[in-house]
Amino acid sequence: MSERVTITIDGREHEVPAGELLIKAAQDTGTYVPRFCWHPRMKPVGMCRMCLVEVEGPRGRMLTTSCTMPVNDGMVVHTESDVVKKAQEGVLEFLLINHPLDCPVCDRGGECPLQDQTMSYGPGESRFVEEKRHFEKPIPISDLVMLDRERCILCARCTRFCEEISGDPLIEFKDRGNGTQVLTFPGEPFSSYFSGNTVQICPVGALTATAYRFRARPWDLEAVESTCPHCSVGCRISVQASQNQVLRFLGVDSEPTNQGWLCDKGRFGFEYLNSSERLQMPLVRGADGGLHEATWAEALDAAAGRLAVVIDQKGADAVAGLGGARSTNEAAYAFGKLLRSRIGTPHLDAQLDDGLDPQFLAGVEPRATIDDLERASTVLVWGPDLKEELPVLYLRVRRAAAELGATLIVVNPRATGLDDVATHVVRYRAGDGSGALRRLSAGDGELAAARAALAEGPVVAIVGRTGLAEPSALAESVAAFVRELPDARLMPAVRRSNVYGALDMGLSPSLLPGRASAFDDAARASLAEQWGSVAGGSGRGAGGIIEGLAAGLIDGLLLLGADPMQDAPDTARAAAAMQRASVVIAIDLFLTASAEQADVVFPALGFAEVEGTVTNIEGRVQKVNRLLPGPGQAREAVEILEDLARRLGGSIGATSAEAVAKEIAAVAPAYRGVTWDLLDWGDGRDGIVVPGPEGSQPLGFVPVARDIPAASADLTLHLARTLYDHGTAVRRGPSLAKLSPEPAVHLHPDDARRYGVGTDSPVRISGSGGEAELTVRLDDSLARGTVYLPFNLGVSIGTGLEVRLEAMS
Amino acid sequence: MSRWPPETMERAHAIIARYPEKRSAVMPLLYLAQHLEGRLTDDGMRQVADLVDLTPAQVQSVASFYTMYKRDEVGTYLVSVCTSISCMLLGGEDVLAAIEDETGVRDGETRADGLVSVEHVECIGACGGAPAVQVNYELVEGVTPENGRKLCRWLLDGRPRVVLGDEMQELFGGQRSFDWGPVEREGAVGPVPAFGPYGTAEEIR
Amino acid sequence: MTILTGRMEAHRADSHTMARYRETGGYTALRKALLEMTPEQVHEEVKASNIRGRGGAGFPTGVKWGFLAASEPRYLVVNGDESEPGTFKDRQLLERDPHQMVEGIIISAYALNVHHAFVYIRGEYPRPARRVQRAVDEAYEAGLLGRDILGTGFDLDVTVHLGGGAYICGEETALLNSLEGRRGEPRIKPPFPAVEGLYAKPTIVNNVETLSNVPWMILNGGAAYDAIGPEGSKGTRLFSLSGHVKRPGNYEIEMGLTWRDFIYGHGGGIRGDREIKTWIPGGASAPWLFPEHLDEPITIDDAGRLDTMLGSGAVVVMDETTNVVKAALSVVKFFAHESCGQCTPCREGTSWMQRVLERILSGQGRAMDLDLLLDISDNISPGLRWPPAMTTICPLGPSAVSPITSILRRFRDEVEAMIPGVSAGV
Ligand SMILES: Cc1cc2nc3c(=O)[nH]c(=O)nc-3n(C[C@H](O)[C@H](O)[C@H](O)COP(=O)(O)O)c2cc1C
Ligand code: SF4
Ligand code: FES
Repeated sequence: MSERVTITIDGREHEVPAGELLIKAAQDTGTYVPRFCWHPRMKPVGMCRMCLVEVEGPRGRMLTTSCTMPVNDGMVVHTESDVVKKAQEGVLEFLLINHPLDCPVCDRGGECPLQDQTMSYGPGESRFVEEKRHFEKPIPISDLVMLDRERCILCARCTRFCEEISGDPLIEFKDRGNGTQVLTFPGEPFSSYFSGNTVQICPVGALTATAYRFRARPWDLEAVESTCPHCSVGCRISVQASQNQVLRFLGVDSEPTNQGWLCDKGRFGFEYLNSSERLQMPLVRGADGGLHEATWAEALDAAAGRLAVVIDQKGADAVAGLGGARSTNEAAYAFGKLLRSRIGTPHLDAQLDDGLDPQFLAGVEPRATIDDLERASTVLVWGPDLKEELPVLYLRVRRAAAELGATLIVVNPRATGLDDVATHVVRYRAGDGSGALRRLSAGDGELAAARAALAEGPVVAIVGRTGLAEPSALAESVAAFVRELPDARLMPAVRRSNVYGALDMGLSPSLLPGRASAFDDAARASLAEQWGSVAGGSGRGAGGIIEGLAAGLIDGLLLLGADPMQDAPDTARAAAAMQRASVVIAIDLFLTASAEQADVVFPALGFAEVEGTVTNIEGRVQKVNRLLPGPGQAREAVEILEDLARRLGGSIGATSAEAVAKEIAAVAPAYRGVTWDLLDWGDGRDGIVVPGPEGSQPLGFVPVARDIPAASADLTLHLARTLYDHGTAVRRGPSLAKLSPEPAVHLHPDDARRYGVGTDSPVRISGSGGEAELTVRLDDSLARGTVYLPFNLGVSIGTGLEVRLEAMS
Repeated sequence: MSRWPPETMERAHAIIARYPEKRSAVMPLLYLAQHLEGRLTDDGMRQVADLVDLTPAQVQSVASFYTMYKRDEVGTYLVSVCTSISCMLLGGEDVLAAIEDETGVRDGETRADGLVSVEHVECIGACGGAPAVQVNYELVEGVTPENGRKLCRWLLDGRPRVVLGDEMQELFGGQRSFDWGPVEREGAVGPVPAFGPYGTAEEIR
Repeated sequence: MTILTGRMEAHRADSHTMARYRETGGYTALRKALLEMTPEQVHEEVKASNIRGRGGAGFPTGVKWGFLAASEPRYLVVNGDESEPGTFKDRQLLERDPHQMVEGIIISAYALNVHHAFVYIRGEYPRPARRVQRAVDEAYEAGLLGRDILGTGFDLDVTVHLGGGAYICGEETALLNSLEGRRGEPRIKPPFPAVEGLYAKPTIVNNVETLSNVPWMILNGGAAYDAIGPEGSKGTRLFSLSGHVKRPGNYEIEMGLTWRDFIYGHGGGIRGDREIKTWIPGGASAPWLFPEHLDEPITIDDAGRLDTMLGSGAVVVMDETTNVVKAALSVVKFFAHESCGQCTPCREGTSWMQRVLERILSGQGRAMDLDLLLDISDNISPGLRWPPAMTTICPLGPSAVSPITSILRRFRDEVEAMIPGVSAGV
């Protein structure tokens, strides 16, 4: 608790933190000072001059901007004096003389600080008879954002966000004085992954989102607070809808996670929920081989019947389940219980062979929270390019390095979004991770300073796979190194939204609900007391399941919101395997590539249509809430699973999501005591990091360093994701779909020269799982001998490290 | 990737070396860019952005703040007439009118042949020699409307490559703010202040 | 009594050259300071001189130097942006005696333990910049700049920097932003430059004329400087006289003489022997003075007593034929053009006032416009006092109010006479 001082505001004394800005201190003690340019998450600039107050000083009362004035002991402040009122009304009049006052046709109308303050502080009739300032009416400054310079009040919130927070200053003030305007550079659009934040913090209607323009009036919107479904950062959001259509997500300021910000994928990625392609009715494959609409009873009977046949003929462990990483914890738990207990198979996985060892993810310690970044003296990022995969975590790391002065070390085969604020950037050739780790831990040559910084705790290490071709064992080796560092904490990083929750719910051959090991007999036994039975033995993960299918050892497959044919790292292999399955049951929002192969497809309710919990990258459990009924006859996954279970021998107690939640809080060790009530009304409003106060962490996973021999091929593969890939959320939403880049083969200029190719030359690249014909891009940030290929943009050549390249004429 | 010739790049790096931090070189580099192309083009701003690790939008933001970076077409001879208080009191506006009339260029515009631009400017620190005029920022004080016309004719007919303040003062000037001392041989080429370290000044032989 | 201009008057041809500067005693103060004095002693002399800054704010220089924070690196920045309408004194010092300033810079840097100094010269001053650069080059060649100056181990580099055409860059924090390669927008103070200045490092900003006085102080002692001129306005000062006077120009005068002596004595009186109507005593920002003030002494404090200031030392004289609305518009237009645009009241208010004045001048004025002008002014500069209370970050906005209050308080009837339907004097 920082030191406190006493100040007097309008005659009332208050205790406030020393050094806090007056405008904030006043607000926290019940006095709201009007403002436009000040934003609590950005440095004050004192430009709009709206927050003027009088502060008593040696030379009498002085007008000053409360947003730039830190409080000090004994400060006496007047916020309602005639002088203050006159000054504020004056500023407001100045802001309005050139403002178009087109509120009736403005998206901001009804939720506009300028409009509101004009009502409460503003002067009445206009004394301004001159011609107003004119600019070309709204101009698109990117595919997502429109700019109306006539409405702009030049508070610089948007430009400061870009420079200070997201680090891509693509919009800036242009010209000066009365002619000042916000603008991009000719031919360089405002293509920032975070552009939507500027729309949200614009205090007027100058910046608007193409996805939302003219869609609704604030007073028509229903809203509910929830958790962003797009990645494992779990940003707090407000979901807003009208007439059963989600119309926008707004960032909610949650101190430990997103601090108000969202990435554009999160903000604009909601459109898929409104898609006309959403499944409305169950589908059953008929004698003609086609999928036909059916009633729920027919579909459930068909699914259970066909599964039963497989189980009778080949045994329960001829059945496997994939998915759950995009579901709620409740659905994931029910899915696991159905598979392990009711059906009795140990083959289940929430990841698609594209992540990390489940026990590593669920059990490695000591664990870092996102907020630990605020206190870190050194931050190590050896994993995915956070800007592409975990964007708001990227903002928090950026803040740690740029604003809070942490030493940032970024290790990657290619440039990442954080390099410009990194103190040390370490490149290594894809496949030579072990070598790089050896050099870093030894502090060889120019790595000496980086090594020394790592000895300066507190250290936060964000560790994951830099690409999908990289063996997951490397991340464990890095983690093993980090655990030896003084005062170091780990954040194992994978991307898919609720993968942590799904694993915590036991959707892995090696895990049981609540972070227990599936190989821990005691844990299995105590779970069996609850569940009746728990399939044990060594089950297959996603990779093994796909092999098993291909080998005919697995015959029945349940998919819970999983699309291996699109999302698995080796789509060709996954497709071939699924052809062999005799029964595929899919629960999904869309008729995905994989669902098209299914015998029965159940239409599920999706985000904003169900209530439940999710668990983010730091193990923080947060609520997602229901706002909409969902399309057609779609139902909650939990209920679908319960009905299936009943047809397969009896209830799994999944009568409702809430019932499942109660069971989780009772039987899952790490989740004990984490109830909906606590999250909705208790200390859990910002979520609860498990294991919570009542919980425990049965699994203790100790990563070991393994030496992985460097790949020998002339070219090795760096297969990494871009934010706008071909995943469902992007592909099925008009705003984002057009943003995903063209796939290309990225080469270091030197390698390009060796192969006699240059920018745009056509090449054939072949890898472990196929080949593709693409054009070349030069990228001198790549480690030599490394080929970068973006993942999930419609090309798949497998995940083998070694690739071959040939120029085509 | 640089669009500038090697010797210009050398000059640019020499300019950057004058400052503890790269970004401080933005304004001198913008003058260099303007000197090269006769005005400040988007390419010029991109080039400067590369050199000091800023985005072009940031460079544009800086350039557009100052009046001497000309992003629109500007003539070989930029004739600036002061109309601020002291010059205004002594007829600066008449001098401007005479010059507009003589060149056929209105205030703020550039002649089709790209030879001359005319602009009114705020105080240029020559109030003691009002009314004052600058050609490519080289100063002439005590200019009458008639001498303003003569100055323009001299420029348009003679097309001097290097513009010299003293020469113009001699021929067309009058009252000075103070005695100027000896004749300088360094002058301006194009609408950029002539300053050695920026590579924008030239000596006449 | 001349401190600053003696050499240039005596040697019109070459006062700016190293040879002439040396030959007339130049750089002996530097030797004295570096070889015989400690930095503290140099600082003491400057304090003792009681010189107040010549850039406009008139802050005691010795005191300001005392605020310089200890951390390294620290910088000295010379303000040669001289753009206040009516002001052309620094230009003469830069062109005619650049070495005098360079010597002042080296001595001051020594006193302040600074190793990199910058001279920020407005872009419209290429000739002065060339002269200063040549002087700096000559000083390097003579071993008076660079490493180990005069074998004392003291190092100093000087960088000459050209502005880009923006009056506001004369404001010290805007100047620092500009020097950092940013838009010339004034910063919120505190922190003051002496604590967080250039590159957020401790920085002293001084005007060209202020520093040009330093060599004399070192040679003759701060006390000698303090002996010149009345209390609070010590030393001589360079005034720029312009407008309707017979002999415009820069005059180095000992403060304390009357406006009459200055305008009619030095200035030779009004052209065509007309009557004087009003004058701007300290640059366009300053509220105007009127004939009844002719016998007031020219000192910083007396100007303050008359609710105006000596500011940048620019005196602009207007005779009886002057259209004061046109004159006021010219000044307001200047500030509207030069507003950086950060502060709402300055950005919107100055151009609003300009447009109202333009309407009045074009015969489109309304009876309410005079009170409107005063109220707009009051919303930029509450209370319409001088020195101004401000709703803005820097004083530029409030400066635009000076001509408005000056003409509306003094020549209201003249202004009303231009408004259709409002008869003068009523
Ligand atoms: C709008 C504005 C313009 C200014 N212009 C100048 C200027 O052109 N030259 C100058 O030396 N000081 C100028 N100043 C004053 C500087 O901010 C600063 O006080 C001064 O340079 C300090 O030097 P000094 O203490 O030697 O006077 C200006 C101030 C303001 C508010
Ligand atoms: S008062 Fe005017 S010039 Fe000064 S900072 Fe504010 S807007 Fe800029
Ligand atoms: S909120 Fe304080 S000046 Fe804008």
